[in-house]
Amino acid sequence: MSGAEVPITGLESPRWGGFDPARTRGRGAADIRRSFSVSARLGWQMEANWTDPVLFFIYSVAKPVSSALILVLMLEVIGAGGRRDYRAFVVIGSALWSFVISGISGLAWSVLDDRERYRMLKYVYVSPSDFLVVLLGRGLARVAVGGMGAAITLAIGVVLLGVPFDPSAVNWPLLVVVMAAGIASIVAIGIVLAAICLQTRQEAWSYPEAVAGALFLVSGAVFPLAVLPAPIQALGLLTPLTWWIEGIREAMFPGGLTAVGGPGSLFASLVGQERPHELLTFIALLATGAVATLAAIAVFRTSDRRAKDRGLLDQTTGS
Amino acid sequence: MSTPYVFRPTTSPQEAANWSPRQILATDLRAVRGRAYPRVTGMFREKSWVFFEILLPFLATSAFVFVYRALQAPPEYIGFVVLGGAMTAFWLNVIWMMAQQLWWEKSQGNLELYFAAPMNIMSVLFGMAVGGFVMSSTRAVTVLLIATTLYGVSFAIDQWFLLIAVFGLTLVALYGLGMVLASLFLMWGREAWHLTQLLIEPVYFVSGMSFPVGRLGVVGSLAISILPLAVGLDAMRQLAFADAAYPLGTPGPQVEALILVAMTAFFLLAARWTLRVLENRARREGRLSVRWQ
Repeated sequence: MSGAEVPITGLESPRWGGFDPARTRGRGAADIRRSFSVSARLGWQMEANWTDPVLFFIYSVAKPVSSALILVLMLEVIGAGGRRDYRAFVVIGSALWSFVISGISGLAWSVLDDRERYRMLKYVYVSPSDFLVVLLGRGLARVAVGGMGAAITLAIGVVLLGVPFDPSAVNWPLLVVVMAAGIASIVAIGIVLAAICLQTRQEAWSYPEAVAGALFLVSGAVFPLAVLPAPIQALGLLTPLTWWIEGIREAMFPGGLTAVGGPGSLFASLVGQERPHELLTFIALLATGAVATLAAIAVFRTSDRRAKDRGLLDQTTGS
Repeated sequence: MSTPYVFRPTTSPQEAANWSPRQILATDLRAVRGRAYPRVTGMFREKSWVFFEILLPFLATSAFVFVYRALQAPPEYIGFVVLGGAMTAFWLNVIWMMAQQLWWEKSQGNLELYFAAPMNIMSVLFGMAVGGFVMSSTRAVTVLLIATTLYGVSFAIDQWFLLIAVFGLTLVALYGLGMVLASLFLMWGREAWHLTQLLIEPVYFVSGMSFPVGRLGVVGSLAISILPLAVGLDAMRQLAFADAAYPLGTPGPQVEALILVAMTAFFLLAARWTLRVLENRARREGRLSVRWQ
């Protein structure tokens, strides 16, 4: 090395010479933190740097607000618009669904974006960062966009659509813990979709929306589960999203309409209560969320291995 | 092995390039078939779409059926939702696989090959539309059949011919709109991707996908004059549920069929024009290929 060159800190040989195997292990949590923050920043840049803030804001809220308006119009059309409790029920459900769609699609689209459009997936994959951590970071930006859409939809619901909301009545601790557990569950479902998209072709862009649409049916987002046949109600009770939405509703509008319970519901016949207690809701959310998370990790690892085995990480498709 | 390409000796390159109308037509038709082929064949090669693009959208449509059931709505509203749910297949196809497609082709490096090939680029768009139509029809018919059977939707159709004509005109106008958007998206680049998101739920709302569009008042009237989906769906609902008490506020199906005829002509001509203008602009500004290719 000439005297003018500056040694690169941290990359020089160990003092005792030879190869330090510790380097290949990385720095553990510090590496994970750095990978996550860099990929989250990258995700946000990719989401937001294409336009000016006003257009970005419109883009972010148009979808959830339209979804809520569709449901509110459906109520109006058949003359149920006067039921303010039901209006609050559908506005909250459709606002929260913005989180679900964003959370699920964020991770899946990261795979498709990097593989099909930017063709960077293989390079990201062979980088020292953990692939799953990178995906989670990329998905975070979209969850944030979804959160913004949900908040605006709720605000529009309260201000323009007459949703009765009293901040002093909100059970804030329940809201915080249920929201955190719910987002973790959404991310778990997103990981499953990302794993599926590792295996599928370019047209998988619409798959996250399709899955979210199907979960919409069983999660009690916009109608009580009691109107569904019992086996589908059972499926709904096994879905963390059902308990998440129920918990948020209970926290924001204590004593309002319940999606899980109610006359004729499977829940009422099984538990003997008309509506779930908030502790039961939280425990059910944790339990179903834990199962979803474990399943998601298993599915992702299996898909990951299969993608490597079959050379799917650098495929580009189209039709 | 036989080949459609035959060597024809000519006296000059000019003569070789001077194709007869028959040759031009045959090449364009081959381009249509060639572009439709991967979409139709892809359906059979990767079966996951059956689950994700037929079964799951059916469940999403079912969710709206249960909203009406929870509210004890009149039975015809279930039919409105089912018909709207079936038609979403075409709108999604137009947005995801028509409007975005040229931009996708650009990202994948195919676009410059399309423009360099001796064919009319409209035939590529037409081929995409044909292939997309086959895919979406499968989904729409399946959703319609299953939902009609499962939820007991009963149709009352007096004017079959008009209903079929309105359906056909709606599709041609929709895919014509898709062709216009394809040209525009080609110029807008990455913004197009985000615009796609803007064109799903908001369009469902203003088109009255789950309720009669007439209930939207001025917004509904505006949608009927701009969006083929809004006017086509409204006309089809009036024709398919002739015995239902359909809300007032929109023109009759005959008038809406005429609106669709005008839209069809407008969008197809606009697609031809925008494609030509934007192709020239894209050539001048070097936008037919991406930087890293």
